[in-house]
Amino acid sequence: MTLPAFTMFALLLFCMGLYAVLARRNLIAILIGIELMLNAASVNFMAFNYFVAPDPAVGQIIVLFIIGLAAAEVAIALSIILAVYRQRRAIDIEQLTEVKG
Amino acid sequence: MSYETWALALLFAPLLGFFLALVVFRDRHNVAAAIVIAAGSVSAAASILLCVGGPQPTVSARWFHIGDITIAFGVLLDSRTLLMGAVVGVITLCIQIYSLGYMAHDPGKGRFFGFLALFEWAMLSFVYAPNLLQTFIFWELVGLASFLLIGFWYQKPSAVAAAKKAFIMTRIGDIGLFVGLILLFRATDTLDIESILTLYAGSSAGGAPTEIIAALLFMGIVGKSAQFPLHTWLPDAMEGPTPVSALLHSATMVAAGVFLFARFHELFMAAETTRMAALAIATFTAILASTMAVVARDMKRILAFSSISQLGFMLMGLAAGSLFAGYFHLTTHAFFKALLFLVAGAFIHRCGSNDIVAIGRQGAARTMKVTTFGLIVGGVALAGIPPLSGFFSKEQIIASLGQASPIIVAGAYAAAFLTAYYTFRMIFLVTRPDPESAAQPAGPADPDHAHGEPTWAMNGPILLLSLITLLISALSAGALVGAMSEDPIASILGQASHHASIAEMAPAIAIAILGAVLAFFEFGKKGAAQTGIVARMPGLERLLANRWYIDAIYRHTLVALATGIARVSHGVETRGFDGGADKVADATVASGRQVARRHSGRLQLYIGGAAILFALAVVFLGFRG
Amino acid sequence: MITAGLLMAVTFAAALLAVTLRNVLHAIFGLAVALLGIAGIFITLGSPFVAAMEVLVYVGGISVAMVFAVMLSTVVARQDEGGRRRVWAGLAALGFFAAMALVITRADFGPDSDPSEQAWAVAEIGGDLLTHYNVVFEALSLVLLIAIVGAVAISRREAAASGSARLEPGAIDPDGTGKSDVESEQRGQDA
Repeated sequence: MTLPAFTMFALLLFCMGLYAVLARRNLIAILIGIELMLNAASVNFMAFNYFVAPDPAVGQIIVLFIIGLAAAEVAIALSIILAVYRQRRAIDIEQLTEVKG
Repeated sequence: MSYETWALALLFAPLLGFFLALVVFRDRHNVAAAIVIAAGSVSAAASILLCVGGPQPTVSARWFHIGDITIAFGVLLDSRTLLMGAVVGVITLCIQIYSLGYMAHDPGKGRFFGFLALFEWAMLSFVYAPNLLQTFIFWELVGLASFLLIGFWYQKPSAVAAAKKAFIMTRIGDIGLFVGLILLFRATDTLDIESILTLYAGSSAGGAPTEIIAALLFMGIVGKSAQFPLHTWLPDAMEGPTPVSALLHSATMVAAGVFLFARFHELFMAAETTRMAALAIATFTAILASTMAVVARDMKRILAFSSISQLGFMLMGLAAGSLFAGYFHLTTHAFFKALLFLVAGAFIHRCGSNDIVAIGRQGAARTMKVTTFGLIVGGVALAGIPPLSGFFSKEQIIASLGQASPIIVAGAYAAAFLTAYYTFRMIFLVTRPDPESAAQPAGPADPDHAHGEPTWAMNGPILLLSLITLLISALSAGALVGAMSEDPIASILGQASHHASIAEMAPAIAIAILGAVLAFFEFGKKGAAQTGIVARMPGLERLLANRWYIDAIYRHTLVALATGIARVSHGVETRGFDGGADKVADATVASGRQVARRHSGRLQLYIGGAAILFALAVVFLGFRG
Repeated sequence: MITAGLLMAVTFAAALLAVTLRNVLHAIFGLAVALLGIAGIFITLGSPFVAAMEVLVYVGGISVAMVFAVMLSTVVARQDEGGRRRVWAGLAALGFFAAMALVITRADFGPDSDPSEQAWAVAEIGGDLLTHYNVVFEALSLVLLIAIVGAVAISRREAAASGSARLEPGAIDPDGTGKSDVESEQRGQDA
């Protein structure tokens, strides 16, 4: 198992997240996709950190930051989703098209 | 004190007066008037002292550089500016004092005095200008000050219209002047007037460029000095208060044009064709305007027409090649014309009417001794009857026409004859009214504007100007009979006067006296019909009274043309430019709508698009190198 | 390294479930499993500390929060996506995958350093966090604080607005909107 393998795996994970973001209608399912994409990035950082970084602490610290930001993002996203739900009785992205021209 | 100090005081006193009177003390009329008169006194004293002191080097301060060109502001002290400056200074002061009496009851007195100071400042700065830029700037400021003063009674629509007319008519000429000055700068590479004059001095044929420059400058002069075809603004300018008319007609506004001709005399001398054209225009104007004066009954209008005519005379002298003749007439005319306007103002002040018949009927001449004295002195001088000053200067002009075509000379004589005729018509109608004569119904008198007998403030300047006129007459007469070696004005100018013998002067004397006599038989003699020879020819009278229909022609051609152009431009503007702009805006909105319709608001489409574009970009970048 | 391959396989399968299962609740459980797998991968990459954090925050925090959210928005647990939609999304994701895979296979990552010898103390991470990355660390804490406050604010205000809007026309509400407010506040806190 070498660096390209981890990178490929991370790409796979990212593309699955992308698929979820593109295909799902449920806002929470889309959020799941986003989380997968974030984790793909984390995996990449960890892999590069493990294999090539001269200072092994850096990648881990960035992953910690990603985790922290993801927590914040999820908190905001979920509260928005709930707010949307309360207003519309639905969290279908197909109905959230107010910004259309 | 050194001459520099005087030169600076000369210019800055009116400016300071203008500022204080108009900005600080506008509503405290008497303070404003006092300040302006004090400033005027300083300027007058300084200009006289400088004039007596003779030419001095230019006093100037650098304003800014553009490349090699230095723009300076300053005071040019050569013979021409010194004489003109003294004339302007003295006459302005007289008129300012006179205004104390004339404008005593006017609610805008402070503003009036402020404008007077502005006028004086602009004119002095123009006269003493050492470079082209300063000349042009203050030329325009003179125009602005005239505009403000002609339209001083801005509640009166006719005054506003007159101010507008004066401004626009002179502006037409100013276009020429501006282009001319630029071309002059390009041709000589200097703004300095003295260098330019040195460059042109002595060269008799300057070729086409010089002709064009001279012609363009003359265009400005035609506008400013109210020569045909731009003369129509001056009679209307009578709408301003009488002191303004006096100032406008004698030493400032219209004199600026003549002065410019004298200033660039060398240049005009180098432009033969333009000079001849100028001579023809000036002669034609002189005759044209005096015929209009023959039938006019408004005292100020008579004087206005006579101003146009006399300005024509001055330009004739200058264009014929005699700097002295034209300049001499400018000087003498400035004093007696200012005097006549002040006299007219006094009559109007007393009688509340501009109509000479009405003024005569009221018998004003009998009670107003000083005013009548001034009227006679000024009138005789204007008519060119010896031994008063107008005769000498006019005679100089006619003498300077020696080489000109006989038509011009004949024209000059005709204008001189008409001048004598209408001047004495005015004098006789005012001083020897015939109450029984019903031939000329008196115009309506307006008692509201009658303010009673003139005060010392009005009589003083009238007396002073009469005395100056007499003094100049005496000096000139002295030079003629040999009591003095040289005419004083000629000596200030450093020019030789044309010494004529009495025999050579005979035609000029005869023609003037002939005009006066004709006027006497028609208006002055006891029991005279008091109808002019022209009045017995209704067609001609109508033509003259309507000022040869020149105004009407302008109204129906030029004004109509301008209005038409304006209308077309308006159409192009609204339909073409505005419409085009609207079309562009509409197109923008429409395309925006089109694009907006593509915005489905479906986030996933956007994200998908972004992902695919990103992938394409990565592939493109990754495989390019 | 076999462990790593195994973990990858598990993670992949769980992630596939997470993105395909119709029931969102099931999808969340799939996500949780995938996140656990990723934590395992982190351990194989030599960082048990980050793996622990991953489990704590993602599995213990984020997934649970999502479950709460699903519970609160009851009607939408199951949603049907059209087949065409899936096809297009799949094509886009595959295209993206192909492009990036092409780049990865062609990329030169340079010589691998020898990873086996590296043993990282948590102390080093902590020291770096509080010295070299101190500013970022504090900024992140601020972001978290704002996120929490923002989340509470959003749910509260929206709740208040919708709470009063939901009153039946003509219905008598003696306390004004007070009751609805209390209700929604509670909900916000739950969220």
